[in-house]
Amino acid sequence: MSDQPESAVSTDAEAPEAVPLEAYASELADRLGAEGFTVEFDTVRIHVSPDRWVETINAAREDLELFSWLSAIDWSKEVEVGDPVDDVDALEERFEVLCRLSSVENADGAIFVATLPRDEPSIASLVPTIAGAEWHEREAHEMFGIDFEGNTNLAPLYLPDDFIGNPLLKSYPLISREVKPWPGDVDVESIPEPDEEPGDES
Amino acid sequence: MNFWLELVIKLVAVLLTVLTGALVVIYAELKAGSHMQSRIGPYNAGGRWGWAQPLADGLKFLQKEDLAPAEADRAVYGFAPYVVMMSTIAVFVVIPFGPDLWAADLDLGAYFLLAISSISVLGILMAGWASANKYSLVGGLRAAAQLIAYELPLVLAVVAVVIQAGTMSLNGIVEAQADTWFTIGTFEVSAPFLVRGQVIGFVIFMIAAVAELSRIPFDMPIAESELTMGYLTEYSGIRFTMFFLGEYASMIALSAIAATLFLGGYALPGIPDSLANFAGPGVLLGKVAILIFFFIWIRWTWPRLREDQLQRLAWHWLIPLALVNIAVISIFKVAF
Amino acid sequence: MTTPEMIHRSEAAVSVELQTPDMTLNLGPQHPSTHGVLRLIAKVDGERVRDVEPVIGYMHRGYEKLSEVRTYAQITALVNRIDWVSGFANEVPFILGVERLTGIEAPPRAQYIRMILTELARISSHLVFISSYPLELGATTPLMHALREREYVLELIEEVTGGRFHPNFNRVGGIKPNYGGGSTTKKQSMDLPAGFFQRASEAMDRMDKICDDIDQLVTGNELIKMRTVDVGVIPAAKALEYGLTGPNLRASGVAYDLRKIENYLPYDDIDFDIAVREGGDCFDRYMVRLQEIRQSARIVRQAIEKIPTGPLQAKVPRVLKVPKGQVYSRAENPKGEFGYYIVSEGGKMPYRLKIRSTSFSNLTILPWVLKDELIPDLVAIMGSLDFVLGDVDR
Repeated sequence: MSDQPESAVSTDAEAPEAVPLEAYASELADRLGAEGFTVEFDTVRIHVSPDRWVETINAAREDLELFSWLSAIDWSKEVEVGDPVDDVDALEERFEVLCRLSSVENADGAIFVATLPRDEPSIASLVPTIAGAEWHEREAHEMFGIDFEGNTNLAPLYLPDDFIGNPLLKSYPLISREVKPWPGDVDVESIPEPDEEPGDES
Repeated sequence: MNFWLELVIKLVAVLLTVLTGALVVIYAELKAGSHMQSRIGPYNAGGRWGWAQPLADGLKFLQKEDLAPAEADRAVYGFAPYVVMMSTIAVFVVIPFGPDLWAADLDLGAYFLLAISSISVLGILMAGWASANKYSLVGGLRAAAQLIAYELPLVLAVVAVVIQAGTMSLNGIVEAQADTWFTIGTFEVSAPFLVRGQVIGFVIFMIAAVAELSRIPFDMPIAESELTMGYLTEYSGIRFTMFFLGEYASMIALSAIAATLFLGGYALPGIPDSLANFAGPGVLLGKVAILIFFFIWIRWTWPRLREDQLQRLAWHWLIPLALVNIAVISIFKVAF
Repeated sequence: MTTPEMIHRSEAAVSVELQTPDMTLNLGPQHPSTHGVLRLIAKVDGERVRDVEPVIGYMHRGYEKLSEVRTYAQITALVNRIDWVSGFANEVPFILGVERLTGIEAPPRAQYIRMILTELARISSHLVFISSYPLELGATTPLMHALREREYVLELIEEVTGGRFHPNFNRVGGIKPNYGGGSTTKKQSMDLPAGFFQRASEAMDRMDKICDDIDQLVTGNELIKMRTVDVGVIPAAKALEYGLTGPNLRASGVAYDLRKIENYLPYDDIDFDIAVREGGDCFDRYMVRLQEIRQSARIVRQAIEKIPTGPLQAKVPRVLKVPKGQVYSRAENPKGEFGYYIVSEGGKMPYRLKIRSTSFSNLTILPWVLKDELIPDLVAIMGSLDFVLGDVDR
């Protein structure tokens, strides 16, 4: 009485020949009229100007149909927690809004990056065309303080109602570290020496 | 015998039957259900078979604090479980356990049964409303709709039996089934109504009975995974025990009614009349046990129906079928 | 009459005063069928849900902030607690991302073991779904049978990794070399426990058997079909717009499975099908997961035969410095696409870690799909999306 799946797809080498990522990224950036692209570690990033955010993403959705996630990065010279950036002096302080779209037919995908100034970070909202972006934008808003114009429901998502501040900003401390200081880097299992087998302990 | 003494004896007998019966059925449900789920069930309470589990649960409930929601209507809230319990116990008054073992032999036995058992709907509505809780209210309303919808197939199935038996008195119905149906040579054959053409009626009655009991697959009123116990949400302690016992008591009651109306009651062909009073209760309880096992089996196997599907089943299927059943039985009764 | 804007988030008390025709029903954080602490503020008209507002964040633990102050090895220990039902599968994309950044590749045997453990995690997660979903519909028995079978899988995972739910087994460059039972000399016993493959094959036979049993008990049941067919239909375009992935997306007709598309683990050597169904209703989502258990059992069997010998961990430098760069690493988790966006600025800790959690995206569709559904269907649809609150809240 078992139901067979209506269509069980068996694909062996169905993904088309991997176009070298650089060529793919460059073609995509040109087609969308983007400002530039970066390819590193098999990840494609397309840099988009904030004014053209919505139209670029909508144009890209014709091939890359799956809206995966939307988030932000806070590039800041002073960090309360964690390590600062590699080259602090050369850093431009800014916010970056990231949106990842993936294709459902092959492994293509790109992360669209828009740079926002630190003082009044604000960008157009994707919600009118991509309804699923609403919660992602809510999260970015409460964690970073970025305003999404056009999103009418920017109420806090995770944080309690009486929370003050934007936690994921680099200037926001980690309360647990305030309460109990960092005991130092304690490695229970040390990483083996280059000439040791894993498991050889000296 | 003195009227009052007889009355007291009958009351005590009925109450004892109901309460011990309910406890036994609770234990059976726990054990049978567990084994269906590849578990063991009660194991420790009272020795290896865990037979004292329902007793232990009952004692635990009795010593609990008497809680009521602050906004609840105390009078209605307190009275509701007793309304349900009362209507259940009253059913046992008319069920015959043997040719002379009954509490009251009413001419309107079947009518009385149906009328009294529908009072429990009131009790459930009272519970749902007086709890001052939205879950309870939704559960109570669902219960009212369901119970009223399924009263009709129940009644119509019983009507068909009454037509075939020619009497509403339950003793009379049992005797009608024990009467000869036809003779093969000198051998007199008698058969319960189930065999005599009431198969559809029996099925309708059983489905309606499961719905009247609010058991899975018809337990929308208590839909545990949606409404956290529906109209029972705010009940705890003794009041919850009343509801709980009431549910299992009415399970026995409806099984006993089904056994009396369709399966022949306390009579079994082959038992001489002199032993009938001793064997009668045993026979009836055996039939009741089989029916209760079916209730338990179905409860642990199937999911629950949605409210509108439930209503559709009652109104589109069971009631027309029951009416057709009545028509067919009447034709056969008149023609043959 | 209340309007949607008037529902304030902090309306915690259940008010007795009834406003007809719409009533606000609070399916509060503590509820038998919300898979954890999820609160739904539902505006209800009789039995029909007009509007639903999910309130999440009860389990928000601040993973992304915590990751900024933890080394990569420490993050591996934390990360399997995001989706606690499929513990091992959460670690895999993270460790693969770090390996991409550092350029270290795990040896083939380690990759096969990762694949086996991921598939066992997938079976475990789907068995939890198979057990709890019929319970929400009212069938109480599949719960026990499915969870009993899940014990066999959890025992296997525990044998290998030491933990049933939180294995913490991945290391950069491979998996944790076991100092298995017996002699304590260093070069010995650094592999899987003896007899593991035998026990795994037996467990996979049990998986096939439980799928057959569940088929008999649940799939062919008319009542289950009445409750789930054509309930909560999600068309493919909507699913893609909301970011649905995994079995939810495959039930809507989109054959998207990262195991076939992205070769992050050696799935190319294994022959298996992905379960796809048209329709997108609750029954399809349930069937897809049931089929996936069978396919995972198939994968585990083949992986056991084909697994190569060799070391379990590549040579990794003593002080692990991850070069500067950004990488997005994703994998097919039991619940969908699970990804990590790692922003590294050199150094031992990431500058930013964005976790693309599957259940968060799966949950965003809830207000849309629950519009104008009946309350029992609300429970059925929520259950069929199979989300875990730890995954939603991170």
